[in-house]
Amino acid sequence: MATEETPSDQLGRTTALRLQQLKGQLFEVALIAATLVGIVSLLVLFAQISNDAFRPGTASPAWFLIYLSTLVAPTAAFTLYARRRPAVRKTNAKAFAAVFGGLLLSLVTYAVVDSLSPYDVFIYAAFASLPPVLVLAYDRTTDDRTYTGPAVPVSMIVGTGVAAALYDLIRGPIGIAAEWIMYFGLVTVPAALLVAWLTASRRGRRAGSIVGGVVAAGGLVVAVAAIAAGVNASLPVVLFSAFVVPTSYVVVRSVRTNPEGRIGVAGPFILLGGVLLGASLAYEVKSPDTFLTPNLLLNSWDGLTASNAGVYPQIVGSVIIVGFMAVLAFPVGIGAAVYLEEYAPDTGWGGRLATLLEINISNLAGVPSVVYGLLGLALFRRTLGLGTGVVVSAAGTLGLLILPIVIVSTQEALRSVPDALRQGSYGMGASRWQTLREVVLPQAIPGTLTGTILALARAIGETAPLVIIAIATTTYSPPSGLFSSGTALPLQIFAASANAKPEFRHGVVPAAAVVLLVLMLLMNATAIVIRNKYGREN
Amino acid sequence: MSKESESGVGSLQRSGFVVRKERLYGRLIAACAVLTILITVGIILALSGRALSFWSQISPIVFFTGTNWSPVIANSYGVLPLISGTLIVTVFSALIALPIGLAAAIYLSEYASDQARSILKPSLEILAGVPTVIYGYMALVYVTPMIDSVLPFSAQLIPPWVPVIPEFTFVMPSLGTFNALSASIVVGIMIIPMVSSISEDALSAVPDSLRDAGYGLGSTKFDVSTQIVVPSATSGIVASYVLAISRAIGETMAVTMAMGMSPQMPYFPNVLKNLAESSQTITAAMVQIAGADSLGTGPTYEAMFALGMTLFAITLTMNVLAELVRRRFREEY
Repeated sequence: MATEETPSDQLGRTTALRLQQLKGQLFEVALIAATLVGIVSLLVLFAQISNDAFRPGTASPAWFLIYLSTLVAPTAAFTLYARRRPAVRKTNAKAFAAVFGGLLLSLVTYAVVDSLSPYDVFIYAAFASLPPVLVLAYDRTTDDRTYTGPAVPVSMIVGTGVAAALYDLIRGPIGIAAEWIMYFGLVTVPAALLVAWLTASRRGRRAGSIVGGVVAAGGLVVAVAAIAAGVNASLPVVLFSAFVVPTSYVVVRSVRTNPEGRIGVAGPFILLGGVLLGASLAYEVKSPDTFLTPNLLLNSWDGLTASNAGVYPQIVGSVIIVGFMAVLAFPVGIGAAVYLEEYAPDTGWGGRLATLLEINISNLAGVPSVVYGLLGLALFRRTLGLGTGVVVSAAGTLGLLILPIVIVSTQEALRSVPDALRQGSYGMGASRWQTLREVVLPQAIPGTLTGTILALARAIGETAPLVIIAIATTTYSPPSGLFSSGTALPLQIFAASANAKPEFRHGVVPAAAVVLLVLMLLMNATAIVIRNKYGREN
Repeated sequence: MSKESESGVGSLQRSGFVVRKERLYGRLIAACAVLTILITVGIILALSGRALSFWSQISPIVFFTGTNWSPVIANSYGVLPLISGTLIVTVFSALIALPIGLAAAIYLSEYASDQARSILKPSLEILAGVPTVIYGYMALVYVTPMIDSVLPFSAQLIPPWVPVIPEFTFVMPSLGTFNALSASIVVGIMIIPMVSSISEDALSAVPDSLRDAGYGLGSTKFDVSTQIVVPSATSGIVASYVLAISRAIGETMAVTMAMGMSPQMPYFPNVLKNLAESSQTITAAMVQIAGADSLGTGPTYEAMFALGMTLFAITLTMNVLAELVRRRFREEY
């Protein structure tokens, strides 16, 4: 070549190279587009479904302006303010969890206990929790702890059995007591004990018992005030214990101990205040004709009038099914994971068994959910002879379905516990079980929790196995016990999708779907928050 | 305890109760693990009992070669229409999900910054977490009208003046209320994360030394990604494809709601008509039987178990196949 260009110039100017560059850029753009296309199309569908549920188009502009100024602007301003200050952000997150978690928890607890009958729940809870508490109390006073460990679960099982045996005898006398006393025992007493224990661990036993006493007395005061005002005292007691108490605990503790971040506790109250202020200002303005009304959350289904249709029995049914499923599946799943990670030998027959178990679990995870429905049908209805569509069979079927998910996520959590901790524990003379209980499992809790919450989120949307085991699609009251028939929210959506009336097709059903999606996304968000919080600390 | 155990070495021994306790805990935990095998055994027993009783009434040859599925009206149990319905959804959802999932995996593993990945990965996972009943509802109520608004669509792919080859017109008829196209689209969206996350694991497992060698030879990032990293991760990518297809075969609610309940043999060669019309998958037929017949007797009811057995056999084979591919062709680095 005759030109005097430096090699780098030559490289830069070749047309072929530029084409190469263009090709690379186009490829990257195509990759980004492919990554986003699924997310974007799902977002578009979500937007349509929530548009049908909320119908923001039917509100007047003034309504938007009012909420923009009372709710969106202050919240956004506070978020921006907190963003740069980690201490404030942390307190804000805690306060949000206490306020909205407490609110959700108390409402769900009330709905579930109410549908299962507060007296029954109280009897079983008391008999199942008192013996282990007594055992643990004895454990603190004695040096010989050989027997207390196994005594806790055994006493719990025996207590439940005694409750079942004595049920007919006790139910009558207990029924004399007012309903709110059951809620007091179920929610206020544990809340008081928890707050007392938390305070005692930081500020001494005296302060702990004072705070616990204050909480219990507060519960009584609320009940008396509610009775004096002539309303049912149950819900106020629950709201006080599971919403006011944790909120005040977080607020008081942050304000007292965390001068840098104490302003963060205002976050949730700015949001709540914005909602209330907006509601009080906007009552004259045209608000959207939304389908996400209190009716939807509190009524039972009505296939004819859209404004009356609600999914209260379905929501409560879903919560009870998934909750009982968790009780059934998680101990087994965690046990299986512990065996595979901590106990199973690598070689010999045991090693072969472990390999077989691993392969089997990964295959179970790939079995279609309808097939689990058939298993549930054969197991619970044929073999165990349970009735059609009862809560227990639904919970058991879903439990079998999510077992592989629980096992795999727990295994991952156990695998991430460093071996040095185990060796250290063995070196101090701890046995395998002691090491597991005191060292390995506490370390693995966040990972396990993340995986199990994701499994719950999967279970709450699962429909096909419930259809196969013939769970009723519509019931008009929430399940009254574990052996009574109930239904779940996704089943109602499936059944109602055949309703072609426009106010159902583009109204109530999308609103019910939004409720289900919110439940599922809340669970996913909780799991992600736990993962991020503890993932960083490790 | 004996005398010796109280001295020196002996005091280090645990008491008999503690040893028995430890052994009991170990056994309880092992029992939990063995329970998972019992689940598999239970599935096989539960399915095969009823399925064999069904196949003793209706011969398996008739079942697997029959072209008419009409259990209630015509009492005929030919599974081919259902297999055809399942295949239509599987093939078209795979056409959507496999390339998109692989591209997303390449982007996440090779191109994305840490920050982008930390946002995109959980967002992609959400696609698989949305309840399938909601996917089905969205397909029925939103996707179908959206696509139908541009249909029927016809275009001449080869202009008439081109000699020799006869003109070929691409025709997509308008969609029915229930159709395979919308079902395939939502199933495709739902299995994207299955492909992307497993493929991404495989791509990330390719050691950097291979990439560096590629760059050292003067390759561009495009070349390194497509000619070094992707071929090295083939086994993982193929495994993810097989698992995703297996998931699409077993998908139930979305196809039941969006594709309807009218089993039919595929149209051929007019392939696109299959997409526009209602059809029925194996899983949807099971849901239909379960919804209609809760008595628990009769050949129709037992047919549900036969279908379940078929489905279980197909998905199990595919899962085992994926595992074999992954083990057999895994490159050890």
